[in-house]
Amino acid sequence: MTLLAHGVGSRTDLPLPLGLALYGAGAAILVSFSVLLLFWRRPRLGDGSSGRPLPAGLQRVADGPLVRRALQAVALAAAVLVTVVALAGPREPGRNLAPWVLYVTFWVGLVPASVLLGPVWRVVNPLRLLARALRPLAGPPRAAGRLPALGLWPAAGSLAVFVWLELVLPQRAEPGTVGIFLLAYAAVHVAAALWFGEAWFARGDGFEVYSALLGRLSPVGRRADGRLVLRSPLTGAITTPAEPGLAAVVVVVLGSTTFDGLSRTVFWQTGPGAADDTLSGTLGLLAMIALVAVLYVVGARLSGRLGGLAGAALPRTYAASVLPIALGYTIAHYFSLLLLDGQTTWILASNPFGTPGVDLFGTYGHVVDLTAVGPDTIAYVQVGAVVAGHVVGVLLAHEQALRVAPRRPASDQLPLVGVMVLFTVGGLGLLFGF
Amino acid sequence: MPVPAIAVPVRAAAALTALVLLAGCAGTEPPVATPPADAAGPAAPEGSGPAPSEEADRRVEVRYADGQVGGDTGRVPVELGDRVVLVVRSDVADEVHVHGYDRTAVVGPAGPATLEWTADIPGVFEVELHEAGAVLVTLQVG
Repeated sequence: MTLLAHGVGSRTDLPLPLGLALYGAGAAILVSFSVLLLFWRRPRLGDGSSGRPLPAGLQRVADGPLVRRALQAVALAAAVLVTVVALAGPREPGRNLAPWVLYVTFWVGLVPASVLLGPVWRVVNPLRLLARALRPLAGPPRAAGRLPALGLWPAAGSLAVFVWLELVLPQRAEPGTVGIFLLAYAAVHVAAALWFGEAWFARGDGFEVYSALLGRLSPVGRRADGRLVLRSPLTGAITTPAEPGLAAVVVVVLGSTTFDGLSRTVFWQTGPGAADDTLSGTLGLLAMIALVAVLYVVGARLSGRLGGLAGAALPRTYAASVLPIALGYTIAHYFSLLLLDGQTTWILASNPFGTPGVDLFGTYGHVVDLTAVGPDTIAYVQVGAVVAGHVVGVLLAHEQALRVAPRRPASDQLPLVGVMVLFTVGGLGLLFGF
Repeated sequence: MPVPAIAVPVRAAAALTALVLLAGCAGTEPPVATPPADAAGPAAPEGSGPAPSEEADRRVEVRYADGQVGGDTGRVPVELGDRVVLVVRSDVADEVHVHGYDRTAVVGPAGPATLEWTADIPGVFEVELHEAGAVLVTLQVG
């Protein structure tokens, strides 16, 4: 089966036009220095009490345990169906919906859903229902007290495993591989939840943590007193709890998307990645994650030192401000995949098992319309997303520096903003291709 | 705390994103009436009177021998609307598949396979040998 960058897909995007890439890079640099020199001097992005409360009825519905369990049951049914189709359905990846559901509809679709509505996967996670159902068999959680010390590190590991599967493993598009992954993922995380308690999912389930972090950038948030509110996404991001492992999660997400972009360039495909095997892919992915990690930690530590922070600045202090840059990268790389190849899920859903004569929704005979979104639109969305992510990231870094080092001149932010400019210009360079 | 005036932009953003997501779901179309994939491109009768936007042929020749790909490999640029002629030679029996355009042809030691079509979808598309899992050439259309 073909070895395209994101596991499945019939096409990848054209390289960015050079002029557009240069405009984007220039805009990013200009905005960065404007923010440093001209913007506000006191923290003004709100705090845990900001926001306009949503109607109480809506809060009751959204937080109601029955509603949550019902949604999780629906999600569980869908997950079971996808797993069965993966293991027992058509063997040809182009006719089996499981790889498309996992890599496109779920993994990419989670991004707009979470950015719009908040941590949707926390509400809908079918594994939570499974863990709750199996609790009577396993008895009370034995290690619940050790969970807070783990922070978000288990989620970083869980995400790293998935992105390795998505970007590296040669057989990743095979339905059998997808089925085995879904079963193994469920087994590992339900077992961990039985050991640590249901709170495990909020720390160890990579998809749930990914959705929750993206949800920090949504207009829907939870105030410190538990009330659901409408608030600025900037407030949500700046109030992200700085847990151990937060920086690791952000670095894994950004590093993996960077490797995705790298693997589409002619340089990689004819150079280091020409062998197209597990080894070169794994090394490339590790190298990109390591590069992002080193750049970010150096920038954060230097900024902390210039800001006069007592002791070394923990990477988690500024990690939330890199989140919008990771989001911009993700949109740029996967937007067209969701809109174009993502149609395949809805085509194949009409006949999940490939039984002759079945056409549940009347779409089984359709073909994907690869001209639904034009290359110009894609290019503008790509540059727009990367630059917008950069702008929001610099704003958040500026605000965070004002909070942790209030009496310093803005120059203490230079190292971190410099690293962000590197990420953005590098990202645009990857989209331009070389 | 002052109430943040975000309601209207939030609603607009939500509507825009919903539109974008719906476009993804609804984008399927009935099969386009294209000529069936065949092993030998016919001498196109309409070759003498193409639409003015159709440029000269883009000829791409690749060969697959002893597990190695040779010829016009790597990334080949193609103008949008070009008529592409792809000639594949292989020392093993296999199936050539052009992604995106979904063209297939059987190739083997007996002789080359020729695929001819109009590159009217922009993007970057791989051409691969199905059984061997080898990427022959990547076409950049646009």
